[in-house]
Amino acid sequence: MSRTTPSTAAEARASGRTRIEPDHHDGTSDAAPGGYEEERRPGELVFGVLLLLASLGLLWSAYGISGFQALSGPGTVPMAVTLAMVISAALIVLRTARLPKVSGETVLKDILPVTVMIVAALLVCYGVLLRPLGFLPTSALFLIVSIKMLSGRGWGWTLFIALGSLLLVWLIFRIVFTVLMPVGVVPEAELIQVFRNLFAGGA
Amino acid sequence: MKRFVFGAVSAVIVSASCAMAQDYPTKEIQGIIQWGASGSTDTVMRSVTPHAEEALGGTIVMQNMTGGVGAIALNHVAGQKADGYTLLMGAENPLLYKVMGLGDKDYTDFIPVNILARGTPILVANPEAPFDDYAGMMEYIDANPGELRLGATGPGGLPSVVTGMIGSVEGEMDVISVPYDGDGPALTALQGGAIDVMPAVLGAAIEGIRAGKMKPLAIFDVEANPKLPDVPPVTDFNEGYNTYLPWGPFFGVFVAKGTPDDVVAKLSAAYAEGAKNPDFVELMDNRGFSMMGISGAEAEDFLAKWQQGTTWLLQDAGLTKASPEEFGIARPDAD
Amino acid sequence: MDTLLAFLTIFTHPQLLMLVGLGTFAGVYVGAIPGLSVTMAVSILISFTFSWDVYPAISLMIGIYMGGVYGGSRTAILLNIPGAPSAIATAMDGYPLAKRGEAGTAIGVTTVMSFLGGFVGIGILALAAPMVADFALRFQPRDYMLLAILGILLVGSLSQGSLVKGIFAGALGLAVGAVGRDPLTFTERFTFDLSIMEGGISFIAVMIGMFGISEALMQLHHVDKAAVRQKISRIVPSLSTVRKHLPLSLQTSTIGVIIGALPGTGGDIAALMAYDHAKRVTKNPERPFGEGAMEGLVAPETANNAAVGGAFIPMMTLGIPGDAVTAIMIGALFIHGLNPGPMLMIDQPDMFWFIVGALVCANVFMLIFGLTGIRLFSKIVEMPRAVLIPLIMLLSIVGAYAVNNSINDVYWMLGFGFFGYFMRHYGYPLGPVILGVILSRLLDDNWRRAIISEREDLGRFFMGIFTSPLSLVLFCAVILIFVSQTPIWTRAKRRLLGRSGKEVEQ
Repeated sequence: MSRTTPSTAAEARASGRTRIEPDHHDGTSDAAPGGYEEERRPGELVFGVLLLLASLGLLWSAYGISGFQALSGPGTVPMAVTLAMVISAALIVLRTARLPKVSGETVLKDILPVTVMIVAALLVCYGVLLRPLGFLPTSALFLIVSIKMLSGRGWGWTLFIALGSLLLVWLIFRIVFTVLMPVGVVPEAELIQVFRNLFAGGA
Repeated sequence: MKRFVFGAVSAVIVSASCAMAQDYPTKEIQGIIQWGASGSTDTVMRSVTPHAEEALGGTIVMQNMTGGVGAIALNHVAGQKADGYTLLMGAENPLLYKVMGLGDKDYTDFIPVNILARGTPILVANPEAPFDDYAGMMEYIDANPGELRLGATGPGGLPSVVTGMIGSVEGEMDVISVPYDGDGPALTALQGGAIDVMPAVLGAAIEGIRAGKMKPLAIFDVEANPKLPDVPPVTDFNEGYNTYLPWGPFFGVFVAKGTPDDVVAKLSAAYAEGAKNPDFVELMDNRGFSMMGISGAEAEDFLAKWQQGTTWLLQDAGLTKASPEEFGIARPDAD
Repeated sequence: MDTLLAFLTIFTHPQLLMLVGLGTFAGVYVGAIPGLSVTMAVSILISFTFSWDVYPAISLMIGIYMGGVYGGSRTAILLNIPGAPSAIATAMDGYPLAKRGEAGTAIGVTTVMSFLGGFVGIGILALAAPMVADFALRFQPRDYMLLAILGILLVGSLSQGSLVKGIFAGALGLAVGAVGRDPLTFTERFTFDLSIMEGGISFIAVMIGMFGISEALMQLHHVDKAAVRQKISRIVPSLSTVRKHLPLSLQTSTIGVIIGALPGTGGDIAALMAYDHAKRVTKNPERPFGEGAMEGLVAPETANNAAVGGAFIPMMTLGIPGDAVTAIMIGALFIHGLNPGPMLMIDQPDMFWFIVGALVCANVFMLIFGLTGIRLFSKIVEMPRAVLIPLIMLLSIVGAYAVNNSINDVYWMLGFGFFGYFMRHYGYPLGPVILGVILSRLLDDNWRRAIISEREDLGRFFMGIFTSPLSLVLFCAVILIFVSQTPIWTRAKRRLLGRSGKEVEQ
């Protein structure tokens, strides 16, 4: 992307298609999010409708907190806020529905490729296993599987990188910052005590 | 290296299998603090625990676990193994959870290791308030109904109990109760004039009083406090308060019910020893807390009495969600 | 004379000097790792430095604080993942620079500007602390509420593209902030009787999820693409660059000090407000905001470091914390046998001047550590993405857990991560969500306090606003900024000013 002066950027925006890079810009800069202003991406309408439904549900829930009892009620601000959500979501849906679809984009290719789905599934597995299995085994599994899958390099390299970085993370968080991650099947506290005794004995 | 690993692993197995009380603690102990960093509970626990560690010969790793007015930490500790490796470091609130509808567990599911200290409530006012003592405040309320702004910290907090006490001794007060999420922010608001009067714990207000940023109206105790000898106890104004006082929030260390007796004994001894440390005693004195240092049956008795008195007081003030009766908390005998 | 001696204590004790340096260095890294927060580090230090004297303990804490506030910008620029909430605004123009390979320049400017902002904050602390503290105390609940509304109006400048989507995101954030038991009445809100909702949703978990996980998922699209090589030849910005941004940085530093000094608001809100201010006053940025404008880096970074000095103002003069970190420091002073409060400055003026000295020292160390080690940091982004992405995810998980030792926060973090991923795809800005969560309590609690204080009477409420100069100024600012964002204003302005209306549209 070359240097643009403000006026040309404004013109680009006004003329419609704000695609910043030829092959889909990566949408990573928050200030310039990944949507297109004048076109509808695959799945965008569904997403908008879901948000609208969720907002309606929340508005109902907010009404249930304290109703129109008092200006100072705990539900007053939530009601105002969810009402704003409903209105803006409705506007978004109406606008999105009128836009033409982006040509050449599909959900599977551009929104939710297989890699993303697999990694997301791995994250969900992580969340499920974290408590029963404990932090160390779960993280080791997650790092090994994802690094192996994403890099496609040999096992030796994968294991070295995965376990090495896990050790580093564990040392920083568990030892220095005494964050007590779920221990699960690893007797972490006992291990640390053994090391502590060793050092105490050695000193 | 191999031998070292082997040694370590077997040591782990050995210690895990016979981690019984005689050599407690064999690993580090987790101390779950019910309130956030920098609150009174946090300060007290972080300053007594290092001394207790010394007496115990173990390590206690302290963690803040906030949320749900402390109920999240309480439920967390109650859900851990009752082996003395997870301590709950808390304040008085859990005794009110049941009647406030905040949870179905309280300290009756725990064994008190040590109840360290008790705070004294005090009524403070903005220095520009048009009255100088408790009697003046009551007159002002009578003359200007619905004008005085009184700070609060939500149902079950110290201000709600004090306000309930005033209500039952003097009759309902017509004031505006402005809620804050802790006595720190409320006292800040008091100094800025957003509220006129605030019931607070002595330790939180003492520096402000010394500097003349707020003025004391009355101490909620049966006698004057050595830290502020000139401030009259509220019983000087109305004898009726003798029914409820002395009363105050407290701090304590607890373990889940079912923890082996000798483990509890070791912990109790360690905290009793730690609480005697002169540094800690001085800190507590500076903050205006009265040392208690009770454990065992004495502590359980104290907790039961506290719960009876306070829950019924709140019940009579109409502040509870459920009657104490439903949980088998008997109305205290009038004494 | 005593004052000078107290101020110089830190410089004459090599041991203390070293501790500040060590703290600052550690702080930069603590700040840079999302999920490791300065608050956490400082509260751990309380136990760690328990048996020390008070001076060394405070030195270390101040170092960490200063370094940590600055460190958040590192990962914001390099990875688009703010290491701390106060660096959210920095990511918006910093990351586009890194994508161009200009991370070195961005970090250089950030560092020098943080240093500058830090000094403004310390200067005001040293010279005008009692005055600012009195001013900060004068804020009533309704003023805090107006301030929160002012903050919410920032949504307009945080969401390029669709304003409606920005409004939705902001409202969503406000709703997320309300989840759980209401702290004032303990009423359950949006909990649907689930225990996972009762404790509320940690705002750090939302931030890490939205910025960390969703960013990492987004990067999976380009897992094979080589990382942008960073050129780091020119780090220290030229004097003319600094001079050019000096007026803006002084304005944003002032914003930072005031917001920092207000109890209940901190560097995160200060940085966002400063970013908004920069966008308003900068007529012709070299590059548009959101694509790497220098002003977009200068504003938040000066403001959040100035907020450090600001936060110490009520702490030192009144014993009232300006933010979470100073709250913990007050606890530390207690533990070390001091009595922080209004009397501290009178009883122990040395302590005040020692802290000022330590802050100056930490600020200088921050400049030194900020301008060195950039090469090492840049290597992080040049790591293969196949390794970087899983690591970011692991760090996000641990970080979310560490906030409150709660596995629920991990679930929330992942949930918001997935949600944020779709939001990014469909052009919903994420900044307003975080803004909403930050401001939710400020708005809700203070609105209720204000209206309760006026006995639920809207007439009395507005009377209060119009009779207090402070409230009136804030109220006018709210109206002005609101009107300036509506189309009517743009149209009116265009008609009035003719051709220059085009600039207004910017």
